[in-house]
Amino acid sequence: MKKISSLEELEKLRERISSSKGGKKTKVLISTKATCCQLQKSEQVTSALFDEIEKNGQKDKVEILTTGCLGFCELEPIIVIKPKGILYKNIKVDDVSDIVAKTILKGEIIEKLLYVNPLDEQRIELEDDIPFYSKQNRILLGNNSNIDPDKIEDYIASGGYSALSKVLSGMKPDEIIEEIKKSGLRGRGGAGFPTGRKWESCRNTEAEDDIKYVICNADEGDPGAYMDRNLLESNPHSVLEGMIIGAYSIGSHNGYIYVRNEYELAVSTLKNAIKQAREYGFLGKDILGSGFDFTIKLSRGGGAFVCGESTALMASIEGKPGEPRAKHIHTTTKGLWDRPTNLNNVETWANVPLIINSGADWYSKIGMDKSKGTKIFSLVGKIHNTGLVEVPMGTTLRDIIFKIGGGIPGERKFKAVQTGGPSGGCIPEHLLDLPVDYEKLTEAGSMMGSGGMIVMDDRTCMVDVARYFTNFLKDESCGKCVPCRNGLIQLHHMLTDICEGRGSEKDLDFFEELGFWITNGSLCQLGTTAVNPVQTTLRYFKDEYLTHIVDKKCPAGVCKALITFTIDSEKCTGCEVCKKNCPQDAISGEKKEVHDIDQDKCIKCGICEDSCKFDAVEVN
Amino acid sequence: MGKGVAVIGGGIAGVQAALDLAEQGIHVYIIEKSPSLGGRMAQLDKTFPTNDCSMCILSPKLVEAGRHPNIELLTLSEIEELQGEEGEFKVKVLKSARYVDEESCTGCGICAATCPVKYEYQIPEKESVREKIEENELTKIDTILKKYEDEVGVLISILQDINEEFNYLPENALRYVSEKLGIPLSQIYHVATFYTAFSLTPRGEHIVKVCQGTACHVRGTRAVLDEITRILDVKPGETTEDLQYTLETVNCLGACALGPVMVLDKEYHGNMSPSKVKKILKSELEEGGL
Repeated sequence: MKKISSLEELEKLRERISSSKGGKKTKVLISTKATCCQLQKSEQVTSALFDEIEKNGQKDKVEILTTGCLGFCELEPIIVIKPKGILYKNIKVDDVSDIVAKTILKGEIIEKLLYVNPLDEQRIELEDDIPFYSKQNRILLGNNSNIDPDKIEDYIASGGYSALSKVLSGMKPDEIIEEIKKSGLRGRGGAGFPTGRKWESCRNTEAEDDIKYVICNADEGDPGAYMDRNLLESNPHSVLEGMIIGAYSIGSHNGYIYVRNEYELAVSTLKNAIKQAREYGFLGKDILGSGFDFTIKLSRGGGAFVCGESTALMASIEGKPGEPRAKHIHTTTKGLWDRPTNLNNVETWANVPLIINSGADWYSKIGMDKSKGTKIFSLVGKIHNTGLVEVPMGTTLRDIIFKIGGGIPGERKFKAVQTGGPSGGCIPEHLLDLPVDYEKLTEAGSMMGSGGMIVMDDRTCMVDVARYFTNFLKDESCGKCVPCRNGLIQLHHMLTDICEGRGSEKDLDFFEELGFWITNGSLCQLGTTAVNPVQTTLRYFKDEYLTHIVDKKCPAGVCKALITFTIDSEKCTGCEVCKKNCPQDAISGEKKEVHDIDQDKCIKCGICEDSCKFDAVEVN
Repeated sequence: MGKGVAVIGGGIAGVQAALDLAEQGIHVYIIEKSPSLGGRMAQLDKTFPTNDCSMCILSPKLVEAGRHPNIELLTLSEIEELQGEEGEFKVKVLKSARYVDEESCTGCGICAATCPVKYEYQIPEKESVREKIEENELTKIDTILKKYEDEVGVLISILQDINEEFNYLPENALRYVSEKLGIPLSQIYHVATFYTAFSLTPRGEHIVKVCQGTACHVRGTRAVLDEITRILDVKPGETTEDLQYTLETVNCLGACALGPVMVLDKEYHGNMSPSKVKKILKSELEEGGL
């Protein structure tokens, strides 16, 4: 492809791509280029679809678009048939011939592939009618369904790089920063620092040899959050465009994307996107004939959670161990290789082209007073509609979990929702009407974080959850600050004691004291927020701690040392399935007779409960 | 020698112990092998975790130990024999000759300055690790190094590539990288042990990864991990004795909709449960002829 050397050429190219795409009546979207769909064998389904369309001679009439993630991960692989917008879920290779023969050729609906609303058991035909989609405001994610992430042409055709073109055709750097400030965009990595102000201070810092850096933080370490991975896999150019605009306004010519190496697909999609952007002249020297130079390099992480922290991340790019430093001097003054550096999260960068294109006024109308725009959450855990959810700031937790998420499966009861990753906290039922924004979540003892939202039901033990996060943080503490390194080990030790029935009430008081030292004696956010999971669970679920300590019981049936498995004689049919599966031979009973578990032999692995088809195994 | 306490070793620990004892009125002998007190700490620039200057902490203590009336220094001395029990030890010390009368010496240093014989410290010739690495492996490492030739801050990328190529970081490969890039081996080890992506021991032919993300956790990944641990008889991070399987945990694979997730080599298995583990691994183990 010839390099684009002026803004007019870009517009001509856009027209050319759009007109070459027209003409085909039916368009079939299939989500196949994201990790979660590929886990569900979407690639096989896609190639079957191509074969089937070809076999039926529909190649000239039907356009197949292989997109990234469409957000509703529970239903992957998804097929959406346009123009009507019929959505089929969980497609298997065997379903493909039916879809082509019936729906694409004849317009018939295949009932069994439709989405079933968990609330009223009704089948829903059209994508737009599914509450999961209709209740969202997908300004960032919506474009995923227009783009094949491996094709820059798709991004250009859907209006991509027009923000860059607008910027280069006459906006001064200060004007851009003013626009971003006016929009009210705040960092989506979790801390919520105003993006425009960060850019401004980086721009205003004099660099000795005129070298400044911009960095995209794609080290999405929070367990249970994957919106950044999704954006990189499904719409990588929106992030690149945001970075180029940012670099232009800051006056930087070198960019880095620090991405988790565990995200194999995201790494390869990004590599390809950067290559294409370079070929087209969106990266490199003299971008679109404006005289502005900018390159982006990819830096792969080594699997350390603490590297999501800005100073640790920069140390890691420099090839050092990722240990944070004290931030008396901001990274916008002295960051990567001691040069002024502006670091933003993937989602923050992806918001930039939207703001430039539609204006700060439009953007600032979405959301709340202090938190503007939308936020993507990964709604996971014990929830019906698992997936990525994009809502305006200020949407209540109840709306997200029950209206969009469809509530808790299996007639279980909602217990808590965990936000903010290991630095966040668990929010109980009585706070469900809390509008989600930076300040409100912090008041509740949790935080926004990068946007993980893990829903928990009454089979989730809150003490165990606190122990889980403490264990996670203890492993991930870099070890630089003693209160964090050793304090977390002690905290984990005490929580383990409680989970195994050795806790005492005094422990709870000591948590407070230990928490104070860990919070106040650590340099970076990992340490200063490390006790949040313990403190919020203790604040909202103290009873559960006491049940563990005093009654030596785990009400949720999770903590192994405090539970026993028994067989309900009413429900047991004597089918011998549990008996055959038990690794310890702890289950006795003849065929068609009620079985029994020998508690001395039982190792509480849970296989019997898991394998019983009649719910006869009970956890006490 | 009279009664008292013998402190063996004149490093910071020995010096501090001696000072504490001496302050309580106990006569202390510090027995030190080298010509002077100070030990390892005197060789350091800064101390962990405060990054304070090491000598600033140490030197006042050295001076104090040197002039304390209750402390007797036995430098250039080694213990030959130790007998007895608590409260009643008998120590036989061999003191090497210093050829200077310690009583009269003021430590002015003129003798050292005027001595016509100069002793040059011999740094032993360092043997290159190159010969110890097989030819084809050397080519592999060289190709990786070449890829990053003109770039800065590439240590992590190089180690990632080596880790991928050899399935772990062989010691000789790290020594070779240290030689080639001129980065001290200690720094390379600092990086190699910091990041979870690196392994310093050979990993199995098959890698079993279990996601420990929060979504997987609340859906019961613990039971899944326990079951794998039980079947393979290795703990997370360990490799089976026959080098067939390595069990690893990963913080989050971002496949939360399908949790609990297990990855066997590159194949993902979603919605895992202990009984599913049994099925998958058992058939795998049988196929592998184990």
